[in-house]
Amino acid sequence: MAEKEDRIKILTERVLSRFEDYDINPKEVSKRLSLLINEFKVPEEEAVRTVTNYIIKELDISPSETFGESPIKSISELSRSGEWVTLKVKVFQLWDADSPNVSQVGLIGDPTGIIKFVTWAKSRKPEVEEGRSYIFRNVVTDSYGGRIQVNINRNSEIIEIDEDISLPPREIEVVGALVAIQQNSGFIQRCKTCNRVIKKGICAVHGKTESYDDLRIKGVLDDGMNFYEVILNEENLKSLTGIGVEEAREIVKESLDRESVLEELKKRLLGYYFRVRGSRGNRYFIVREIEAIDGKAVEFADSVLKEIESLKKEIGV
Amino acid sequence: MDTFQRREVAKRVFAYELSKSTYTTSEGDRTPKYVLTPTGEKCNRVFMVGVLLDKEEVKPDSNFWRIRISDPTGVVTGFVGRYQPEALEALGDIQPPVILSIVAKLNIFEGETSKFLSIRPESINVTDTQTRDYWVIETAKHTVERIKRLMDGADEDTKLAKDVYMTDIGEYLSMVEKAVTVIKEEAEIFSEEGRGDDRTDDIADESAGLKETEEVKTEVGEARTESSEIEDIDLEDFEFEEEEWDLSDILEEE
Repeated sequence: MAEKEDRIKILTERVLSRFEDYDINPKEVSKRLSLLINEFKVPEEEAVRTVTNYIIKELDISPSETFGESPIKSISELSRSGEWVTLKVKVFQLWDADSPNVSQVGLIGDPTGIIKFVTWAKSRKPEVEEGRSYIFRNVVTDSYGGRIQVNINRNSEIIEIDEDISLPPREIEVVGALVAIQQNSGFIQRCKTCNRVIKKGICAVHGKTESYDDLRIKGVLDDGMNFYEVILNEENLKSLTGIGVEEAREIVKESLDRESVLEELKKRLLGYYFRVRGSRGNRYFIVREIEAIDGKAVEFADSVLKEIESLKKEIGV
Repeated sequence: MDTFQRREVAKRVFAYELSKSTYTTSEGDRTPKYVLTPTGEKCNRVFMVGVLLDKEEVKPDSNFWRIRISDPTGVVTGFVGRYQPEALEALGDIQPPVILSIVAKLNIFEGETSKFLSIRPESINVTDTQTRDYWVIETAKHTVERIKRLMDGADEDTKLAKDVYMTDIGEYLSMVEKAVTVIKEEAEIFSEEGRGDDRTDDIADESAGLKETEEVKTEVGEARTESSEIEDIDLEDFEFEEEEWDLSDILEEE
């Protein structure tokens, strides 16, 4: 019981620390926190937020006055909308604002991630520049189209800093098995005008059109924890299987069937492991480099066996 | 936030652990079914590399095949029929014993007193020892991570697995140990003999030996596992007489 009371006391102080210039009854704060946490089993962080917001509303004060110290968070921690946070970021990319209500829009990043930001014209904030680092103080998270972004409003503050904030590694490496090959893979034809994949000589945009041959695989690479949709182009496929557009034509000449190229590629790729380097796009993993795994997996055997041994000791087997 | 249906990741689980899995969970009507394994992996789809021990048509000319797949830890049974067209086509050209990579969904048949797991391959391809070695080491690592979580007892899935299966941690550590040791020793033997990569057949033989003991154990269950798959599939699609596949006898037997 005493433990619970102590906890409430600590949290009460945390709430009050944001309202030092105001006269607030600590008992009232404790009562509300205790009700939420002990009675209703609301998580502590949520309770603190709720009580803080309540006080702000009651006293009719602007968040910037109290949230002068709104918590510094890293981008990867942002998960829900309506959170007031302070970020230390570098401007990664600026986009064209497509609405007169928006003065700037683009991407900002810190070592943990990249997130979209929107500066409202009404906020009258100075413009930021690509490649420079800033503190974005008192910005609020928002969800737009199912993704989290941050909005810069009247109560926010943007301060340029000398520190160079690093961005997350742009390139990642994945080793996974190719567990599926999707439709429109294989020896395909593209429209000469727009490069779209066409079927039976008909382009969805240009109708009956001139076409050229190409080779690609749209597939799924899976490492047992995540999956990555990858597109392998002719160059990738030629280096992995020896089959390029020329070889594909030879295969078709012999089999008289375009589909047999895909069959051949499947035999050489499906269920095999690959090491892929590239960057994450919106949906597809953009492959820069792909190679078959080397035969060195067995080298990890000893470290796994060692770990098993120590776990066995731990449970006394 | 993700309201659209995401693709299910193919989990890495050894055959022994899969064959012991009997518990399914589903978070709602429209969500996918998951099989919870004894070390707490929740899987809807698995990726396996193992030896095809045999393939056998369930009934003559049914084009509905039972396959048995072995890895260094044990054996799982799979069924391939016309609802797995890609796997069915690939299987046609394949003769056991041979190392395969398989992407499969899982199916659990519930009898009155016991349950049996089988796999339903989505895709099958012939592969090599290098891929098999990588899979065994990868699966070993994933399993050890799960066992560690099981020992911590912190997350929901492993807690549930502990409750459902009363998982014997030592048993599963030994299973992983065995798998890794087999791969390691083989690599050593073959590097000494300098025979390189040409070891497919020997491995198949070895697994076939291993299978003998397994077979006795699973024999009892087989008849029912078989029937379970038939149950899922529209019986009229098959040419055999329907009463022959009437499940009520088997179900009421016990």
